[in-house]
Amino acid sequence: MIDLEGLPEPENAPQEGSCIRLERPEEGLVRLHLDPPHRPKLAVFDKPLLRDLDSALTELEQDASVRAIVVAGRDPLSFAGGADIEGIAKVTDPALARKFVQSGQELFQRLHRLGRRGGGRCHTVAAVGGPVPGGAYEIALACDLILLADHKKSRVGLPEVMLGILPAWGGSQRLPRRIGTVAALTAILQGRLYPARKALRMGMVDRLTPPEYLIRVAEDIALGRLKARAKKRSAWSRILVDKNPLAGALIASRATKETESKTRGHYPAPLAAIPLVVRAPRVSLREGLKDEREAVLPLATGPITKNLARIFLGSEEAKKLGESPDGGRLAPVKRAGVMGAGVMGAAIASVLAEKGVSTRLGDLERSALDEALRAHHKEVSKRKQRRSLSPAEALGAIDRLEVTTTGEGFTRCDLAIEAVAEKLEVKRIVLGKLAEQMPDDAILATNTSSLSVDAIAELLPNPERVVGMHFFNPVRKMPLVEIVRGSRTSTEVVHRTARLAIDLGKTPVITKDVAGFLVNRVLGPYLDEAVRLLEAGESPERIDALLEAFGMPMGPCELLDVVGLDIASHAGASLEAAYGERMKASRFLEAFVQAGELGQKSGKGIYRWGKDERGRPKKLEPSGRLAGRTAATPLSEQLVTDRLVLSLVNEAARCLQEEVVAGPRELDLAAVFGTGFAPFRGGFLRYADERGLVQVVETLHRILDSPGLQNGERRGRFEAAPLLATLADEKRTFHET
Amino acid sequence: MKPSPQGRAVLAAGLRLPQARAGSAYAREDAGHLGASLARELLARTGIDPQEIDEVVVGCVGPPHDQANIARVIALRAGVPQGVPAHTVGRNCASGMQAVTTAVTSIEAGRGDLFLCMGVEVMSAYPLIYNDRATAFFGRMMRARSVGAKLSALLSLRPSMFFAPRIALTEGLTDPTVGLIMGSTAENLARDFGITRQEADAYALRSHQRAAKARDAGRFEPEIVPHFPLGASPGKGSLQHDDGIRDDQTPEALAKLKPYFEKPDGIVTVGNACGITDGATALLVTTEERARSLGLEPMAAIRSFAWSGCDPARMGIGPVHASNRALQDAGVELADVGVVELNEAFAAQVIACQRAAASAEYCREHLGRSSALGEFTDDKLNVNGGAIALGHPVGATGARLLLTTAHEMALSNHELGLATLCIGGGQGGAVLLERRS
Repeated sequence: MIDLEGLPEPENAPQEGSCIRLERPEEGLVRLHLDPPHRPKLAVFDKPLLRDLDSALTELEQDASVRAIVVAGRDPLSFAGGADIEGIAKVTDPALARKFVQSGQELFQRLHRLGRRGGGRCHTVAAVGGPVPGGAYEIALACDLILLADHKKSRVGLPEVMLGILPAWGGSQRLPRRIGTVAALTAILQGRLYPARKALRMGMVDRLTPPEYLIRVAEDIALGRLKARAKKRSAWSRILVDKNPLAGALIASRATKETESKTRGHYPAPLAAIPLVVRAPRVSLREGLKDEREAVLPLATGPITKNLARIFLGSEEAKKLGESPDGGRLAPVKRAGVMGAGVMGAAIASVLAEKGVSTRLGDLERSALDEALRAHHKEVSKRKQRRSLSPAEALGAIDRLEVTTTGEGFTRCDLAIEAVAEKLEVKRIVLGKLAEQMPDDAILATNTSSLSVDAIAELLPNPERVVGMHFFNPVRKMPLVEIVRGSRTSTEVVHRTARLAIDLGKTPVITKDVAGFLVNRVLGPYLDEAVRLLEAGESPERIDALLEAFGMPMGPCELLDVVGLDIASHAGASLEAAYGERMKASRFLEAFVQAGELGQKSGKGIYRWGKDERGRPKKLEPSGRLAGRTAATPLSEQLVTDRLVLSLVNEAARCLQEEVVAGPRELDLAAVFGTGFAPFRGGFLRYADERGLVQVVETLHRILDSPGLQNGERRGRFEAAPLLATLADEKRTFHET
Repeated sequence: MKPSPQGRAVLAAGLRLPQARAGSAYAREDAGHLGASLARELLARTGIDPQEIDEVVVGCVGPPHDQANIARVIALRAGVPQGVPAHTVGRNCASGMQAVTTAVTSIEAGRGDLFLCMGVEVMSAYPLIYNDRATAFFGRMMRARSVGAKLSALLSLRPSMFFAPRIALTEGLTDPTVGLIMGSTAENLARDFGITRQEADAYALRSHQRAAKARDAGRFEPEIVPHFPLGASPGKGSLQHDDGIRDDQTPEALAKLKPYFEKPDGIVTVGNACGITDGATALLVTTEERARSLGLEPMAAIRSFAWSGCDPARMGIGPVHASNRALQDAGVELADVGVVELNEAFAAQVIACQRAAASAEYCREHLGRSSALGEFTDDKLNVNGGAIALGHPVGATGARLLLTTAHEMALSNHELGLATLCIGGGQGGAVLLERRS
């Protein structure tokens, strides 16, 4: 019996014995179905399932008549979703974490020992399909043979590092034994989920079969009626690579170097995984499992895993925004229009077409449309080359993008997005013309970043179908879409738009119609603060290095150049107009803009920009325009970082108070997905919580006393937001849990 | 022609892509993509729900080898629902016109009243084919089982097997029953009707001039959708106009060209013949009533149409035969027709048609008429130029002639218009269009 005492119990935990179905379709054969009733979508290895797996295995161990075991899910394309991430996010007690890790290891080990490979009497076959991540794949790895449903929904892998942990239910040990250290290391460090064919090629599974045949074929294999050999690593590769300590050391040192440069030391999990995986083929499984356990425990209870798990859960939660709150069906968007073939409009149209939406892109300029099509063709063929699109899918993606200079032909669109110039009149006219053509219930979306959705909707017929759909630049890379709900926008329209964002592979967050919405509003003071430091003579390199060290994917000065100094100034001005003193924007960049030095796009901005060997923009040295400035008294590293980061946090607190988004969880999700705010820190508010709100407030006071602020403008930016001050006083936190 | 139970068939809407000389703008195009993007545009502009379409009918002479029923490929790629059937029709150079008459026949038979009809051709993509010796070599290789047999098969390999491929384009343009390439059938007509090189060149020059003028006057704008082709080279944008029109064409330049098909005394040169071309045209064929219910103003009604045969060695005369029947069916005199689009396969062939139609003798002998058919006068014949300038994407031209005729009728306010063309293999096709002025 395993010990699960004290582990978190899901809310609607079912009665004992109901999570596993044992079926005996014929003599000697048992089918073990993971089928927990409290997880309607996908089974996860939580306390009830582990408990029932324990008793099921006990039953099988005692029943000598069983010769063949098939481990399967509820149905061929829903096997299991891995370990209970909600549980992981909650457990902070090391003793409990140890229990959780150990119980999974032990159970899978017992399954392994029932199988022939583990010296047992049964042929064990895992019959898996659909998503098979982490723990779900680890239970399959414990079987003699893995059979995978050949379907586009099937995805196999060990993504634990994405959550700041590592595969610790035998995965770090069994995968390298199965596919070799190099392939296993790649799979574990990247945390990718592989499609069926790729998984077969890599040897992660042994055989594919159509989902309809999955159970039958698995049974036939288990009973020996069908020959199927487990994929085996060749003896040579085993001896020369996996078991060779020299090769191991080489592989480990290279992987460590690469990982360090990628994670900048912020993520310990991949680094901890490397020695484990490399050593795996050279130690006994028993020893390996012990190493694995010891390696994961400090990670599992640490703050990084908690934060990453919360972000993951938050993004899963965000997917529910694509459903109607009353449970009704939302009509999917099948045909969409996009007006304006600039950088944003063209990219939005390209993504829409690629994701299966028949899309019509309009612009007055034929040349803009040509460039949009050229870019679209290029993106699609790139994806075809990478095999993320099949040749037939690539054809469809190209076919689905239509263009027009006349503005006609939008009649059958379910939704249209305007991405034209940021001028209220222009947007009103464009949407008005679309409204004339389109059905009354078609959604009119604006990709505005600085105008009010209500103002745009004002003169349009049926304003309840006007919504903001704010994509970020570059559209293909940025995972967040702000769905802006105007005061008259209907709930159905909001959720249909969110559903479209999800279908495009984006994470939606619903925001109120306030200036800058959420992301640009909080970024406003942050970027302006960076400009003010430049103005005071700080070097952009120092500022960027400090913020990168903090965990931002890109420093603020570089970000300004990438966004474009003209656009940033424009955004700053409109925030200042809306929020007044605390958003007062520095005029320092005006000289740059007037000189046409707009950043990356014009080759010169805060930095000079060149091209790397593959033709991508590359940051060079700071602009000569900044030369000769030095700070009178250089600020301390801590102060520079705090000024920038806490300006974000403070504005985020105001947003939370004003209910710009639903709650702290949504706000932090948007922080990570929209601004790239260090994911391991869990978001603006989580960061503040962890730093301690009292300390945050004190630091804000200190900033107010620092050079440039004592008597200066924008003091409001650093005066603790009322909510922040109150919570600090009451010794509470933004996130109550 | 009897009116159908559901009312007369009409052309409710139509569009075409700019036509491109083979190997130029659409060199890397695929007929499926070309057709689908045009079909999408027509569906978008008309706003009709593709679910409502009864059938998609596409004319194409040389569908790519992987798209035998190219109509179905185009329909699906254009977003027409799976439940709507599609078929490809072939009548050589008249395939695009055949697509329309097939729809008309279906409408008359009561088998539907909304058809998407197209003609599409990417002659750039016509393949080279292994010659017979190479084909035989591959056969031997495939049959060889033992190493010895394989080796001996391999030894029969000769470079000539691969450096002398058969050219599908040339073979496709050759009539197997009489062994003549199309240009030679035009040479026959030149001899029959005493057409000189100067006359042919002058005709060709006029085609370019008229086409250039029509383009500059914006005459083609309502019918053309610019197209951004697959594999567009960097810096090249979408094609906006037919690229075969030579603004700088001169009598001297035309006179310098050598006869292409019959050296040295023939009169047909590449300058007074149509070019090898890629293109596509789409038309929505429906009834008057249905068009109105879809919110579309019909461009023209189909008053009558006819297909007829003639001597394969003189296929270029086909339009005279077919026009005669179409006009007779409608009870209309050629003189009453205000607009004529007669496809310019070869200048000599068009002139031959003009002379044959005006000749009482020819009409008596070949058409069984008591008098001449009438005159294809220069002022109503191909007033916007023709295939010599615009190109002749074989499967698409038949539909393009109908589209151009319908537009010209509206523009010049004529009630009757005739679209007619010659067909390799010795046939002619003609469709008489009517619109209320």
